[in-house]
Amino acid sequence: MIIAERKPIDEIKGFIEGKKKVLLVGCRGCVTVCNAGGTKEVGILASLLRLDAQKDGRELTVDEFTLERQCDPEYIEELLEHVEKKYEAILSMACSVGPQFISRRYPREKVYPSLNTCFIGGALAHGIWAEHCQACGNCVIHNFGGMCPISRCSKSLLNGPCGGSAGGVCEISKEVECIWHLIASKVMEEKRLDDFTPVQPIKDWTSSRDGGPRKIVREELVKEEMVK
Amino acid sequence: MTTETDKPVVVTDKSGAVLVIGGGVAGMQTSLDLAEMGYYVYLVEKGPAIGGRMSQLDKVFPTNDCAMCIISPKLNDVGGHINIELLTLTDVLAIDGEEGNFNVTVRKNPRYIDMSKCIACGECAKKCPRKVDNEYNESLDKRKAIYVQYVQAVPLKFGIDPKECMYITKGKCGNCKKVCPADAVNYDDKPEEVTLNVGAVVVASGFDLFDPTSQETYRYSQWPNVVTSMEFERILSASGPFQGHMVRPSDHKEPEKIAWLQCVGSRDINRCDKRYCSAVCCMYAIKESLIAMEHAGGKLDTAVFYMDIRTYGKDFEKYYNRAKDAGVRFVRSRVHTLTPQINGDVALEFIDEKGQRRSEVFDMVVLSVGLTPSTGIEGLAEVLGIELNEEGFVKTHPLAPISSSRPGIYACGVINEPKDIPITVMEASAAAGAAGKEIVDARFTQTKSRSYPDERDIKGEVPRVGVFICHCGINIASVINVTEVVEYAKNLPFVELCENHLFACSSDTQTKIKDAIIANNLNRVVVASCSPRTHEGMFRETLAAAGLNKYLFEMANIRDQDSWVHQKEPVKATQKAKDLVRGAVAKAALLEPMYQTRMGLVREALVVGGGAAGLNAALSIADLGFPVHLVEQKDILGGNAHKVYSREKDVRGYVKDLIEQVESNKLITVYKKTVPKYSSGFMGNFETVFQGPSGEFTLKHGVTVLAAGGNAHKPNSYLYGQNGRVMLSLDMDELLASNSPTITKPKQTFAFIQCVESREDARPYCSKICCTHSIESALTILDRNPGAVIYVLYRDIRTYGFREKLYQEARSRGVRFIRYDTDSYPEVTETPEGGLRVTVLDHVLKRPLAIDVDYLTLASGIDPTPMKEEIVEVFKGQLTAEGFLLEAHMKLMPVDLATHGQYLCGLAHYPKPLEETIVQAKAAAARAAGILAKPYMVVGGVVAVVEPEKCAVCCTCVRACPIQVPKIVRNEEDAALRGHAFMEPAICQGCGVCVSECPGKAIKLQFFTDEQLMAKVAAMVEDPQAAEA
Repeated sequence: MIIAERKPIDEIKGFIEGKKKVLLVGCRGCVTVCNAGGTKEVGILASLLRLDAQKDGRELTVDEFTLERQCDPEYIEELLEHVEKKYEAILSMACSVGPQFISRRYPREKVYPSLNTCFIGGALAHGIWAEHCQACGNCVIHNFGGMCPISRCSKSLLNGPCGGSAGGVCEISKEVECIWHLIASKVMEEKRLDDFTPVQPIKDWTSSRDGGPRKIVREELVKEEMVK
Repeated sequence: MTTETDKPVVVTDKSGAVLVIGGGVAGMQTSLDLAEMGYYVYLVEKGPAIGGRMSQLDKVFPTNDCAMCIISPKLNDVGGHINIELLTLTDVLAIDGEEGNFNVTVRKNPRYIDMSKCIACGECAKKCPRKVDNEYNESLDKRKAIYVQYVQAVPLKFGIDPKECMYITKGKCGNCKKVCPADAVNYDDKPEEVTLNVGAVVVASGFDLFDPTSQETYRYSQWPNVVTSMEFERILSASGPFQGHMVRPSDHKEPEKIAWLQCVGSRDINRCDKRYCSAVCCMYAIKESLIAMEHAGGKLDTAVFYMDIRTYGKDFEKYYNRAKDAGVRFVRSRVHTLTPQINGDVALEFIDEKGQRRSEVFDMVVLSVGLTPSTGIEGLAEVLGIELNEEGFVKTHPLAPISSSRPGIYACGVINEPKDIPITVMEASAAAGAAGKEIVDARFTQTKSRSYPDERDIKGEVPRVGVFICHCGINIASVINVTEVVEYAKNLPFVELCENHLFACSSDTQTKIKDAIIANNLNRVVVASCSPRTHEGMFRETLAAAGLNKYLFEMANIRDQDSWVHQKEPVKATQKAKDLVRGAVAKAALLEPMYQTRMGLVREALVVGGGAAGLNAALSIADLGFPVHLVEQKDILGGNAHKVYSREKDVRGYVKDLIEQVESNKLITVYKKTVPKYSSGFMGNFETVFQGPSGEFTLKHGVTVLAAGGNAHKPNSYLYGQNGRVMLSLDMDELLASNSPTITKPKQTFAFIQCVESREDARPYCSKICCTHSIESALTILDRNPGAVIYVLYRDIRTYGFREKLYQEARSRGVRFIRYDTDSYPEVTETPEGGLRVTVLDHVLKRPLAIDVDYLTLASGIDPTPMKEEIVEVFKGQLTAEGFLLEAHMKLMPVDLATHGQYLCGLAHYPKPLEETIVQAKAAAARAAGILAKPYMVVGGVVAVVEPEKCAVCCTCVRACPIQVPKIVRNEEDAALRGHAFMEPAICQGCGVCVSECPGKAIKLQFFTDEQLMAKVAAMVEDPQAAEA
């Protein structure tokens, strides 16, 4: 899933400075699961903003609403009745797809992102998430013991490890495990080290960001009128 | 509410009641387990309240839990159990009859207080002029002649000390009777003799602490700053004489330097006749030193003077290491002279390890006093007709560690040998199982149960709230204007009725509340009085008796949280009482009936592991009448016990007999060469898939006992595996068992090396049994070959409890003990002539000593079972860092696993001698039987409930739950739909962690919903009536 975290409170306060009526929009998708933008987090941010306003003696109405997802137009449509209530700011608590979708559908509204979208990853334990994919568009993990050197090696090396690997840890930080150490250990355990002697060819990065913004069109799914 | 006796299940002439003597932690646990199994319990306590020695402790090792915090729920469980009859201030006078049918005569001594009237308000003690030593605080402060032992005491009723009361002794005073608002004082109270018919007796009357007065060296009676360890516990305790402020008694100065002297009244046949080790003092001294450092904010110099540090239990060695890291000094020396100084300090003179004479001055000295038989034990033993051993404790046998010499009478806790709390609790459960065994047919013949009228359906009714406000005598009414609060509450939304009562908790008020509910058609009730912790259960019963769902009840605590803490501000306190009542009424209006349902259970047990632990567990469960499935991985039963040889007991014969009993028992099915593959379900209804010799099969069971065992550690040192004459303890046992001639050859030299690859970083635990084992082997060799020369190379000798006597015998018979430490390990080499040489640095001579030996035995300790990961995977348990199974609570739940309905015993829990394995297995069996005996399980109530449509299946609750209740389940209507989290109400404890963590707000905790709590808070902060005014 997409892993996000809430922006620092001061930055969010800056978005709504001088405004008296704002709407917080949560998302029941990835950001609920990663504890960043679900109903509970919407409630917490709303309370924080209200308390802050009360402390300063400012007038501020904060309304809360959580959509099923913010990356599908049908759900964004559900916001219509709220948008009609004339908010001075709409704060999306989804990944950055959400505020972009809201902004496109309701072009006159001032829409702000309340989360920073961080990476594609998974939960290692409650409260700990790690990056596992860089969306390169051409998955090769089967060549590396089921581990992704693109996203999990600091240099995205395909022929690792490099000289910066020591004791299973990457030279950039003691907190970062060397994925090539793990790949090599697994391969040695399986006695397949010979498979790793040939040099991996240069990867074709055109499927990644190097080919510019990406779009997928599945012809068989697309209805004619929609394309227009 | 009516109370009735259940009908007998089977016709029997045996009694279904059990007498438990002693209300300490052992007696309480036995009583609770017996009552759960279906027996009626008379719990006799000679003092005015239960709780025993543990209630006096400040903290407990090795968890550093507050002793009172963990024992207090148990006190309330015992006090509130319908099938435990508490007889305080009671002595046992006589017993006749036999197992199954004893008649016990007891004398209930007068309390001089009517327990049904006393409300524990404390007015009497305030006005009592007579101050006497407070024995609960070890006489460090005073109490009154009318008193409660401690604030959490059960029963929480005052009592008069007749030896001290001026009215009873001289006919003067009478203050307490005058001031008692409940008219509870009765100076004419008389002793009463009662005869109880019981099927079995459990003696758990505990111990006394060694009195160091007789030992002149310690100057205990002359100098206030020489205190016993129990006095120091009270000094540290927040409820102690100095309110937890750590000061020394003479001048209330905060000490900067404290010394602990070990083995005072233990391991000493020189100055007192105490040849045994008291088993707990090393650990409590370490605990006290660590806690004292915490109190002093780190600025405290602590030193423990010891002979051997005996940290042999689970996590004890790590606790010892932690103390060393924290800076506690451990000095190996017996202090020979204490010289008090004029300023209150005490100078210690001693010989240090290097043989140097030294002197050091401390602010205070704590004597780590041993545990001795209690003063009344001889008389009690005579009354009961049971034998005592030569140390004055109740005599038991190593292979029947809780059976006294008289059938039907059992002994648990320190009454039979000094021991720590976890083993005491294990023995208590085991004694419950043993006591229940012979009278199993009489189960449920004497127990009581409650029955209630049908519940009124309140669906669609507008809330009609009844508010009852308590004066609590003058406890509340002297500060809060109760009439004003009553008038105020009458105008709150939905309130139909508001009354005040002198004592809301008295039984006549209960009747009035019940009548008021019926007469006024009330559908919600609020009581403003004291704490729900002590009284909610009782008021809920009253609702149920009035035909109202018991969850339609809310309390406002206007005593503990108001009148008691705002005594000097009555006006504000009255305002706060209004706020609290307003909040309670607002929540009450939103309460909904909740229903607990009954769920059937599979009355069969699964025991995993067929060693001594599993065999004992299986047999004990079967003895209590329930079918058992016993699963063993190997093709023989018996486990390690087949390999053990003991000088004291016939272990191999014992285990053979045990196997025969198990295999011939009709209730036990044995599955050999079988391993569990997958297990699901919850307490009462587990389902486990096994891989057996003829394929996979499934069993349903209500409880699980994990007795997966452990193995002797195979070391990589001291030429083990390279030289045939280097062996492990069990190999030596084999030589001894087979009467090998190598043992009896003249002029043989044997050496034992202790702690082999133990108590080191890689295996940082003590295996508990090896010191005793090696010494027993050494003594057996000497028995057969008096000319043999025997060396034991050790770090600390840990022959705890009565095992110390073996150590003394070995020393006196010439076994040579040489200490080494981790700076200088012994070395083992082969000599050019083919001999075996052990070289060790002699701790006295400080020179290497070369010993040519014929046989070398390595005490390598015990490893957890290699199956541990699989077991944990299948049964969803937890392991300690060392790989042993982790119990639910190290102190008070030593045989329960965190998952309800799962129990553990034997080496899988931690290394332990056979006698403790037997005890733990029997304890696990008794705990398991307590579940299996239930007619049904009551499910639901205050539990977490998921709204599936809001659930994002994010697994947050699954990860957050402390006891692994939430699961993500499939959508039952359509498997293609997304599933949702589900909390099995049978096991949810209602703690609310998942509710607060859920990112989708999809979980609610019944009775504590967001709506209810927000309504309560909102009502409390905003007063509509005040706004109008």
